[in-house]
Amino acid sequence: MSRTRKKRILFVLTAGLVLLLVLCGCGGGEKTETQSYTRLEELENKRIGVTTGSVQSMQVEQRFPDAEIYYFSSEVDCLAAMKAGRIDTFAGAEAIVKFMMAENPDLTCVEESLADGMKAGAAFPKTERGKELCDQYSAYLVNAKQSGLYDEVQEIWYGPDESKRVVPDLYTLPGPNGTLKIAADTGSVPFTYIKDGKIVGVDVDLVTRFCKEYGYKPEIVVMDFPGILPSIASGKCDFACGGIAMTPERMESVYFSEPTYEGGSVMAVLKAPEEAEAGGMFGSIAVSFEKTFLREGRWKLFVEGTGNTLLITLLAALFGTLLGFAVYLLCRRGNRIANKVTAACVWLVEGMPMVVLLMVLYYIVFRSVGIGGLAVAVIGFTLTFGASMYGMLCSGVNAVDRGQTEGARALGYSDRMAFFQIILPQAIGHIMPSYKGQVVSLLKATAVVGYIAVQDLTKMGDIVRSRTYEAFFPLIAVTVIYFLLAGLMIRVVELLMKNINPKNRKPEKILKGVVTHD
Amino acid sequence: MIEIRHLRKEYPTVTPLRDVNTDIRDGDVIAVIGPSGTGKSTLLRCINLLETPTGGSIRIDGEEILDPKCDVNVIRRKLGMVFQSFNLFGHLTALENIMKPQMDLLDRSKQEAYDRSIELLRKVGLVQSALLYPDELSGGQKQRVAIARALAMDPEIILFDEPTSALDPAMIGEVQAVIRDLARAGKTMMIVTHEMNFARSISNRVFYMDNGEIYEEGTPEQIFTNPQKELTRRFIYKLKVLEIEIENDAFDVPGAYSEIANYCSSNQIPPKTALRIQTVFEELVQQILIPKPGEAQIRFRSEYAEADESAEIIVEYSGEVFDPETDENQLPLTLIRNAASDLQSETLQDGTRTNRIRMRIRP
Repeated sequence: MSRTRKKRILFVLTAGLVLLLVLCGCGGGEKTETQSYTRLEELENKRIGVTTGSVQSMQVEQRFPDAEIYYFSSEVDCLAAMKAGRIDTFAGAEAIVKFMMAENPDLTCVEESLADGMKAGAAFPKTERGKELCDQYSAYLVNAKQSGLYDEVQEIWYGPDESKRVVPDLYTLPGPNGTLKIAADTGSVPFTYIKDGKIVGVDVDLVTRFCKEYGYKPEIVVMDFPGILPSIASGKCDFACGGIAMTPERMESVYFSEPTYEGGSVMAVLKAPEEAEAGGMFGSIAVSFEKTFLREGRWKLFVEGTGNTLLITLLAALFGTLLGFAVYLLCRRGNRIANKVTAACVWLVEGMPMVVLLMVLYYIVFRSVGIGGLAVAVIGFTLTFGASMYGMLCSGVNAVDRGQTEGARALGYSDRMAFFQIILPQAIGHIMPSYKGQVVSLLKATAVVGYIAVQDLTKMGDIVRSRTYEAFFPLIAVTVIYFLLAGLMIRVVELLMKNINPKNRKPEKILKGVVTHD
Repeated sequence: MIEIRHLRKEYPTVTPLRDVNTDIRDGDVIAVIGPSGTGKSTLLRCINLLETPTGGSIRIDGEEILDPKCDVNVIRRKLGMVFQSFNLFGHLTALENIMKPQMDLLDRSKQEAYDRSIELLRKVGLVQSALLYPDELSGGQKQRVAIARALAMDPEIILFDEPTSALDPAMIGEVQAVIRDLARAGKTMMIVTHEMNFARSISNRVFYMDNGEIYEEGTPEQIFTNPQKELTRRFIYKLKVLEIEIENDAFDVPGAYSEIANYCSSNQIPPKTALRIQTVFEELVQQILIPKPGEAQIRFRSEYAEADESAEIIVEYSGEVFDPETDENQLPLTLIRNAASDLQSETLQDGTRTNRIRMRIRP
């Protein structure tokens, strides 16, 4: 049996084992839940999930000082964690939880609400322009509430008819008075969410109607909830819509419009097993599959996310390789100070967590430059990949015996020629194995670009999860796609390696164009 | 062809070349010998500017190569270099190692380069291995390819930097044979080597280098059979030398014995010889010379030649002449004669120690 064959079999076995464990984990989690909670007091010492930075997180901290609190980035993650048995309950805005309950028969909420009278609206930066826009939008909302239009919109999104829930004007408005960049989260049904691959929701609808009336062209920039307030504070976006709860603290840094949602916060819990409608194991898997991939053409989201992930990875690998190479060439014969500066930059870029670097680039460095998250992601990953390319080149060239340079110089090669003709081809041989690893880590590292409003594969998985309220299929799909992409990258680099390695040349190629006499 | 004047190379802590002066003429085969660390390799590396000299001048065909305006890469094409560690290009076959520099640097066509390479590979007996990579060749084969690579550039002189030092003993012969062929064909060469017999048999000039200069130069005959200067002699005969100076009567005699014992054991002098050296010191210096009237000014010197395991004792002393034939100390003299032969006395013209007596320790 050949080595590669053995390896392949081992890989399949391992992958199968992992999959099995995941399946068991999913099934097991649900079974541990034995009872349901009906009163808030019962939750005093329980494990409670909240969304980071949400109003509910503060309310939970106040109401349940003895509870163990877990912080997630969205209500959907809270739900997945609760289903997996990691938390007992989570707090969410009433509307969001109600929509979750509609999709999840085994979900319910504690009757007594956590808090009442929460108001949410759109948030505007504390600038003159922000104030002006805020006033316009508030005036529009007040009018709409008086004319009955507001209730009409509410009816569309909270009513039973799914087919009415569209925002047809979003992409077609001419915008004679300019474009508005509007930050929105993608996972807050019914405020702002993704449906049929497009951003929709009651807040999106209201904002679009407002833009139509005031002659603006809306451009929705989707991002994770934690990124929304920074994006308007930094001026990346003109304002943010989508059920942003008004808190005294937030009011210090942004202006809030007239509320677009008023309601309470509730604690969501799972129903006791006997209450949950029983469905066959196989049947529920089929339904989950349909929900994850087929409904609303959600497979397209995976395709688009894969495309973005691949695009960022390939561009960053390409530009990063060129950047690292260029920097190395500049530094190769450079003076000590220049090289120290380069080393410091490399250290800075490599030392920074990727997420932090991306956010610094997105919110600080390129705040006023009109480039999107995708470009910023490519720039960020180009920098880090360039830094590691530079490091690989340094060690690769050092690994080539000094005698090679001396041999070439003694024959009469110039320094430059010796480097390109003799040293570099050998250094590349030393670099290739780690280069392969770096490309794969680059691919995996791109999973964080969701933080700067790029919809990559991971983010798309989150978006689908936020609609299906199920973790299993989206996560497995994302995992499998990453595996396939990594495999593809490795194949490509290996192919490159094979072609680049001078020792793989055939004698005919070496002797091409030569009459050999014998 | 190459004129070297006052060549100097200094590093912060050492000065491998202090002052080198010589002319290399067309057709010369120069063997450079000498102890390690005396600047032999540095001299070679300075000639083709792999090391930048810190002073002096090197003229090649009348052109001053230390002039900053001089194109180093053009000069180097006139100078072939063969390294101790071969330095074949690892990513290229033996054939390409020879072809590529011709194509890159001499603008030869691929066909020309190929024909020349095959011719040279045939000359060094490796035409069968043309398409092997360096790591598939033995050390001796690698060095022969390296020689062919240097020859392919048609240099005016080839510099060999210890070409056989990194080889297994079994492979030294094949490389030496190739170099010998080149010498016979009249190629101008300069070879740094530790193989004395090889150096002697191929060269027409020998440089003995020591202390950062060409300490003694001559034909192989002169240098290997009749070296004139002290350090050359020591090197050629592999002399191990011990000198003990006695300035006055208060000399530490037991200390001198332990010095002799150390000298003998650290140079692997056979015990019998060691005992005889000690006897000569005891009888001649301690019994005869020190007790003589007047201040004792004595230098006892032992030279042990590793090559033929022979030892010679030379004693210089001041004051009254002592004649072994007529002296009254007959008992010590008998003991000395048992230990050594060929006693000779002579008188020196200068210095404080005006008498010298030398003898050979009996084998």
